Amino acid sequence: MSPRAAPLARLRERGEALPLALAEAGSRYGPGLAGLLLGLGLWQLGALSYGPFILPTPFATAKAVAGILGAPEGWAIVGATVLRVIAGLSLATAIGGALGIAAGYLPLLMRLLRPWATILLGMPAIAWVILTMIWFGPTHGAVIFTVAVMTTPVIFTGAAEGVLTRDRRLDDMARGFGGSAWARFRRVAVFQIAGHLAPVFAIALALSFKVAIMSELVTNVTGIGGALALARTHLDIDQALAWVALSVTALLVLEHAAVRPLRRRLERWRALGRG
Amino acid sequence: MGTLIDTPLTLAALRFSYSGRMVLRDVSLVLRPGEMVALVGPSGCGKTTLAHIAAGTLAPDRGRVLRRYRRHGVVFQEPRLLPWATARDNIALPLTLDGVRPEEARHRAEEAAVRVALEPADLGKHPAELSGGMRQRVAIARALVVDPDFMIFDEPFGALDVVLRRRMQDIVIREVTERGLAGLFITHDLSEAARLAHRIAVMHPKGQGVLGSAVPPGRPGDRTERQLFDYVQSSLAGDPLFADLQSVDERAAPAVCGCDPIGVQRCC
Repeated sequence: MSPRAAPLARLRERGEALPLALAEAGSRYGPGLAGLLLGLGLWQLGALSYGPFILPTPFATAKAVAGILGAPEGWAIVGATVLRVIAGLSLATAIGGALGIAAGYLPLLMRLLRPWATILLGMPAIAWVILTMIWFGPTHGAVIFTVAVMTTPVIFTGAAEGVLTRDRRLDDMARGFGGSAWARFRRVAVFQIAGHLAPVFAIALALSFKVAIMSELVTNVTGIGGALALARTHLDIDQALAWVALSVTALLVLEHAAVRPLRRRLERWRALGRG
Repeated sequence: MGTLIDTPLTLAALRFSYSGRMVLRDVSLVLRPGEMVALVGPSGCGKTTLAHIAAGTLAPDRGRVLRRYRRHGVVFQEPRLLPWATARDNIALPLTLDGVRPEEARHRAEEAAVRVALEPADLGKHPAELSGGMRQRVAIARALVVDPDFMIFDEPFGALDVVLRRRMQDIVIREVTERGLAGLFITHDLSEAARLAHRIAVMHPKGQGVLGSAVPPGRPGDRTERQLFDYVQSSLAGDPLFADLQSVDERAAPAVCGCDPIGVQRCC
C-alpha cells in the first residue's frame, strides 16, 4: 500500500465506524435528550396557557440568559456564586474529610462527633443563613461559612462510612505483608474511602449551590441569589427563570468538570469483567 | 534436627478467643528448618485463626510466637487482591507497602509472575478479568515477590477444581523445594497435605492443641500418586490421629452468629 493510501483507508474505516458511533451515542444520550425535550414541550404548553407574566416560554428564558451572559456583569455574578461554592465546599472537604477519616479509625472520636454530625445534618439551612447574617453581616464570609457548615457533616459522614465499610480482609492482607498503618492507609484504604466519598461529594456539591443561592438571596450579597432577589422585587419572571437556568447549568458544568472525571477514574474497575 | 535457635517458627501455648468463644487453646507447634508442615483438621477447628496468628494479622490472647526467619509471604484463603489494581500492581503491593520505588517494584513483580507461569498479557488485567485460578496465581506471586524464606498458606486452593488445584500444588512444591523454604500449609484435605508437606500436623477438632504429627514416606515432589493414595487411605482407615478428620459433624460446631443452628432453616 502506498503511503498516501494509508490515511485514505483510515478515513474509510472511520466512515464505516461513524453510523456505529452515532447509534451508540443515540442509545446513550437519546433517552435523556427525549426526556428533556418532553419537559421543554410541557413548559411551552404551560407558558401558552398561563401567559408570559406567570410563565414565560423557554425561548423567552433563553433570550434572558443570553442577555445576562452578553454582559461581563452577568459572568461576574455567576462567577461570584461559583467561587463561593468552591471555597465553602473545599473547606468542608478538608475539615469534614479529615475528621471523618479520623473518626472512622478511632471509635472514641466517632462517638464524640456523631451526635454533632446528626445535629448539624438536621439543622435547616435557613437557620444558618439567619445566624451567619447576624454574625458576619452581608459578606462573602457569611455565604462561604453557611455552605461549609451545611456540607461538612455530609462529607464527614461519607468519609467515616468509607473507612468503616472498607474491606477489612484487604487490610489484614496488607498487615500480613508487614505494611505499616500509614502504608496500609495510603495503599489500600484511601482508594476505597475515595470511592465511597465520590457520590457523596456530588450530593454535597448540589447542596452547596442551593445553600449558597439561598444565603445570597437572604443576605442580598452579589451573586445568583442576589440577582434572584432583584428579579423578585422587579417581579421580572424572565430574569428569575434565567437565573435559575444559569445556576443549574453552573452546577452541571462543575459536576462534569470536577466530580465525574474523578468518579470515572475511581470506578473504572467496577465495569470490568461484566458481561 | 536443629536446636531451638534454628527453628524458623515456634508457636507456644497459643490461646485465642473470638467474641467470647475460645477458638484456640494451648496450641503449640515447632517447625524445623527447611520444613514444610501441613496443618490439617476439620472445618471450624481454628486452623485459619492459627495461620493468621502466624502471619501476624491476629495477636494471640496468650502464648508466644517466635519467628526466626527473615520475612514471610502469605497466601490467603481467598486471593484478597485489590480489585482496582492490575495483576502487576497487586503482585507488587508488598513492595509498595515497603516503599520500594515503583519501577523496581514493577520489575520484581514481573519476575515473580514468571515463576507462577502468569502470561505477560495478563499482568495488565484487573482481578475481575481473571479466572479463579489466575487470581490465586497472582496471590502466590504476591507472596513470592518479597523473596520470603518462610511461606504461610491458609487453605489457598479450596475453591479451585481438582485439576487446577493440582497445578497450583505443583507450583508450590517447585518453589518450596527449589528455594528450600520452610512453611506452614493449612488445609483440610489430607491428600493435599500429603503431596505438599514434609510433615503433617493434626489439629484437635475444637482447637484444643495439636494432636500429633505424621511423616508421609519420601519427600514432597518425589512421591508418586500411588504412594500418596495408599498413604491417605491407610492413614484415614488405620491411624487414630486422623480419626476426627472426616468423622466430625459440622452441625455440632458452635454457631458464630446468633441464629438457631438446629432445625431445617439455618442461616449460617
